[in-house]
Amino acid sequence: MLIVNGPVEDAEHEEFGHPERPDRLIAALAGISDLDLGDDLTVLTPYAATRAELARVHQGAYLDELGAYCYAGGGNIDADTYATYDSWSIARYAAGAGIAVIDELRRVGTGVGFIAARPPGHHALADRAMGFCLLNNIAVAAASLTALGERVLIVDWDVHHGNGTQSIFWNDPNVLYVSAHQWPLFPGSGGSREIGGFDALGGIVNIPVPAGTTGDVMLRALDDVVAPAVAQFSPTWVLVSAGFDAHRGDPLADLALTSGDFAMMANRVAQFAPGPGRLALFLEGGYDLAALRASVAGTLGALLDCDYAPEEASSGGPGQEQVLRAANERLIAIHMAEDSRPEED
Amino acid sequence: MTSPQTIAVGYDGSPASQAALLWTFQLAGSTGAKVVVVHAVGLMARFSGQGASLDLEQSVGQLAEDVDFDMTHLRWYLSDGDACSVMLRAVEDPVNADLLVVGSRGQGAHAGLLLGSTSLQLAERSSVPLVIVPMERHFDGH
Repeated sequence: MLIVNGPVEDAEHEEFGHPERPDRLIAALAGISDLDLGDDLTVLTPYAATRAELARVHQGAYLDELGAYCYAGGGNIDADTYATYDSWSIARYAAGAGIAVIDELRRVGTGVGFIAARPPGHHALADRAMGFCLLNNIAVAAASLTALGERVLIVDWDVHHGNGTQSIFWNDPNVLYVSAHQWPLFPGSGGSREIGGFDALGGIVNIPVPAGTTGDVMLRALDDVVAPAVAQFSPTWVLVSAGFDAHRGDPLADLALTSGDFAMMANRVAQFAPGPGRLALFLEGGYDLAALRASVAGTLGALLDCDYAPEEASSGGPGQEQVLRAANERLIAIHMAEDSRPEED
Repeated sequence: MTSPQTIAVGYDGSPASQAALLWTFQLAGSTGAKVVVVHAVGLMARFSGQGASLDLEQSVGQLAEDVDFDMTHLRWYLSDGDACSVMLRAVEDPVNADLLVVGSRGQGAHAGLLLGSTSLQLAERSSVPLVIVPMERHFDGH
């Protein structure tokens, strides 16, 4: 069963010529349609996150200013990020979609959640919009779970490092944030030595990979670097920042993944979930519409065991060496941080 | 207090960043400091195309010529990220700036109080002195 939330009609978050555009959501939903799920598809009523839910991860002053800015007509927040009159409302629905999906997953105890919402969220910081993102959708959802005492694994396979999510959970021992991303690339963070604060050392796992990286390298990263960290962390929920801009057809980056790679990665990540109904994927990037559609279908088709044939998986690209190096550098950084940990009073 | 050795100035081609660059050239011209022109490469850079960085290079060269600034004292630092994060990185190796200079408003930023304001975000976070140059300032080139 697939539980979906996110799309909001009769509101606009769009800027002419901008790659983060409404057609992306149409493409993602078309990918779901391609699976012919029938009664196995549940689309929830849109839910807008409350201020209290947003304030778990965002500063109140930022929320006030973002809302006021949108209601004043919006505009460019920075060179990458825009807002419109409707953006505050749309962003709140995008941030609330994950909460609604998780509530439903908890109620039914089975299935996979997919948050088909925009704008994306993983670059949004506690006090700042950036990188097309206004509110950090996956962070809001993860914080709703940690508030219930859950331990949340966030796997971020968007081609860009999720600096906002990392920053928000930097020192939170109840969240393990894992990102495999192209480097160097925007936002310039996500080095393997970034491992979390003293209250959560090792709670950040960054695997920067070079341009041209193929699916076999990403799977190795999941198996050799991520899986041991996940086993140690023992999550009760798994959330995925499912950007699809690592696809070889995407115009914003240079990785070489296919929809078949996303399908295989999804199956690996699903194994990290402790049981059924504990996995939800959040749409992040992905700017080539055909690639986005195929990748959404490939990913969800694999998770739901659908009769859907994605593109062939890719292999033979660079990155194996960088994955090994990232694993070693991370371990060294953790040991060094442990040695320098301030003594408690 | 000693004179700055390395001044990092944020530049995106906007009028505000041009004002910041001219102010920096004047200061560096009188103190002998090195100037590092910092440019943040954002998500939209791919859509701007390769010509954008060439345009920036040309406009910086023109501004330096306008005020007789010696270009051999100038370096570039291009880094992926938002303007605030990239400016903060300029304090660290390899730039090691001991003074940051920005315009009051960069490209695409709005006129609100805090949202999108690189200068105010830097004022909160910078570990070295920060100069915010108002766009209205007039320069005589000397």
